[in-house]
Amino acid sequence: MSDHQAFADALLAAESTCPPGLTAWNGSDPGRRFAVYRNNVAASLVDALAETYPVTQALVGEEFFRAMAGLFVRTNPPRTRILSFYGDGLADFIEAFTPAASLPYLADVARLEMLRVRAYHAEDATPLDSGEISRLLADEGRLPQVCFDLHPSLALVRSRHALVSLWAAHQAESVSAALAAVVPDSREAALVLRSGLDVEVFLVPEGSALFIMNLRQGIAFGPAAGLASAGDAAFDLAAALGLLIRSGAITSATIAGSIPS
Amino acid sequence: MNKTLTAASLALALGAAMTVAASPAAAQNKMSDKEHCYGVALKGKNDCKAGAGTSCAGTSMRDHQGNAWSLVPKGTCEKTVSSTSPTGYGQLQEFKEKKA
Repeated sequence: MSDHQAFADALLAAESTCPPGLTAWNGSDPGRRFAVYRNNVAASLVDALAETYPVTQALVGEEFFRAMAGLFVRTNPPRTRILSFYGDGLADFIEAFTPAASLPYLADVARLEMLRVRAYHAEDATPLDSGEISRLLADEGRLPQVCFDLHPSLALVRSRHALVSLWAAHQAESVSAALAAVVPDSREAALVLRSGLDVEVFLVPEGSALFIMNLRQGIAFGPAAGLASAGDAAFDLAAALGLLIRSGAITSATIAGSIPS
Repeated sequence: MNKTLTAASLALALGAAMTVAASPAAAQNKMSDKEHCYGVALKGKNDCKAGAGTSCAGTSMRDHQGNAWSLVPKGTCEKTVSSTSPTGYGQLQEFKEKKA
């Protein structure tokens, strides 16, 4: 094992052991110096997680969050220099983390929080203008085969829990009052989308979520709408499209099988 | 079961969606109705939601700095007192601070 690897392993080990061969410039105990450094590494990564996951932290309290994040950090050190996306795997970690099992919605809230950061940094894209949509309408026969491209920042989380309401309650003036009104185990789907520099979170009905997910996967307009209404009898196509158009989520439209002009 | 929607019904929905999207009163299901408010953050308490490791949040050097913003509930910004703002209140755009 290389010195470098031994040093890195000792940083993340559960118990502090000073890697062999360390010396301190001023003759102080290298074990104590190393312990300080080790603690700073963990604390700064836990701080980074707390910054990305403020609602997750608020839901479990700072003490629980920092303890949980401390365990995560040890098994999931950063893999890139980009700290903004650090902790991408926290939601999956929470799902398997038994002490958090009494909050089954926690993982989905964490998922939503990371998607917001990702949306913030996603590429820009110009929304399709209304003239182009009118041109699509003029060629009604081919409308079912139209494929819509969606904004790079767009993402969805479908949850068995009220993740949007839980998240939104923490953005309210009075968090406790807003939280009291939330029914945690009602199903909700969140649409995350950046418009300008603002990352928005929308609560969308199941059918809209299915429809948008289908479009995202490259399924053409007709079948995407058909599958959504098969999955949710209450699917409102006009409302789903209205939301996408209004929020600038549709960035281009091409007829399936044809070369985009 | 896979219901097939006719081209006509797709066109109808798309047309309706365009009308809805164009109307200012369109029902917003946006979950956080907040606005960027300049000049109301205390020193080091400005917002910036770019994730961990980014350097803009909490970097304002003075109280009520005119180019540092906070996210506040919609409609409250221009009612929040700002000691540096020429209007006396927070503003939706960054502004040049007046001498306190």
